[in-house]
Amino acid sequence: MRLCQTDGIPEGEARGFEIAGFAHKVVVVRRGGRIFAYLDSCPHYEGGTPMAWKADRYLNGEGTHLACHSHGALFEIETGECVLGPCLGQRLTKVPVRISPSGDIEMVREPAEEELG
Amino acid sequence: MNIIGPDYLVFGVDDLVACSEFLTAFGLTPAGVDDKGGLFEALDGTGIIIRHKSDPDLPAPLPTATMLRQQVYGVRDDADIEAIAAELGKDRKVHRLADGTIETTDDFGFALKFQVTKRRKLEMPAEKINAPGAPAQRGPNELGVWDGMPAKPRMLSHAVLFVPDIEVATGFYCQRLGFVITDVLKGAGPFLRPKDNDDHHTLFFIRTPEYMKGIEHLAFHMGGPTELMVAGSRFVKSGYESFWGPGRHKFGSNWFWYFNSPLGTHFEYDADMDKHDDEWIAREAPFGPEASQMFLLQHREKWVPGGGPKPDQ
Repeated sequence: MRLCQTDGIPEGEARGFEIAGFAHKVVVVRRGGRIFAYLDSCPHYEGGTPMAWKADRYLNGEGTHLACHSHGALFEIETGECVLGPCLGQRLTKVPVRISPSGDIEMVREPAEEELG
Repeated sequence: MNIIGPDYLVFGVDDLVACSEFLTAFGLTPAGVDDKGGLFEALDGTGIIIRHKSDPDLPAPLPTATMLRQQVYGVRDDADIEAIAAELGKDRKVHRLADGTIETTDDFGFALKFQVTKRRKLEMPAEKINAPGAPAQRGPNELGVWDGMPAKPRMLSHAVLFVPDIEVATGFYCQRLGFVITDVLKGAGPFLRPKDNDDHHTLFFIRTPEYMKGIEHLAFHMGGPTELMVAGSRFVKSGYESFWGPGRHKFGSNWFWYFNSPLGTHFEYDADMDKHDDEWIAREAPFGPEASQMFLLQHREKWVPGGGPKPDQ
């Protein structure tokens, strides 16, 4: 499933995508030229809660981490691991993505049962 | 010891520009804000103070993700400041500032400041409703809603803290500072009001592990449920992230709508909270979805049912 063109996400920025059938958005972030994608679902609460404070505002102020703007939890962009905050040691759910030959960012898999809205 | 309630909550943030945008969009008004931050106030002058987290004027941070750096409580007069200084001076350092305020910390290291309240007395009507059997609150031709109607936060209402030990937290605020427990959600914690405030709560605790210590949410009083709905709907339409609500809590009876924020805590619009006096006997309920709300709704984009297929279809 196509999310956007690779240049749709500048270096050091993130975007959220609503995906038909998914209860949560998918957050795509570019860091060091690499693309990472996670469910927009903070593991602090059962069922997960959305993490941005405004559309596409997923990073902390310094742009070093993905942040949950519920309680300020910080997640490593590369691994999704929570390094500070209520869900310390837990991880964001990784969403496999790939770059297509035509330069699109695509989601590789279908949603799992528990991710359906 | 006449504590009225929170005048300001002070945050050390990592993005002053984002926080300024958020606080203004939420409906607060910048009051003397410069590139180092400042106060964003509700209509009565209570509000949120932001500084960069590295600002040396801020009290020390807690060793957690929280950006809350100080709770500033308003008291009635100088005698209250003296009474608090005498009480808390028994077992901790109380700093006296040149402006007559005092600073100290609670038993978990949350920084506190006490000042003669700077809030302004509000004189504004509450939301008015009409119902059969009761005198009309809105007279003939007086409208309930209109495009562009004001929906501004009126007053800083309450803060909710994550604390590692409810007994210790309650002991400090009740026995040392004269707060009163109005109700208890067992498994989470108690709702507290200061002696000189009849709101159901200005403070609530939720028991959490030590590494979560901090502020869970803060709330501002609106003029009524309609203002809350209008403000929240506008906020969602502007792209801000709803977290919980709109709905109406059971304990306190206040309407609620919570939003994520770049200050690492939820911001709540609340409205129409219960009032209590010392005759009230605290209730208890087990913490959970049933006890937490009378009803819970969820925002959706505007939609209208029509008369079915259009004539040309």
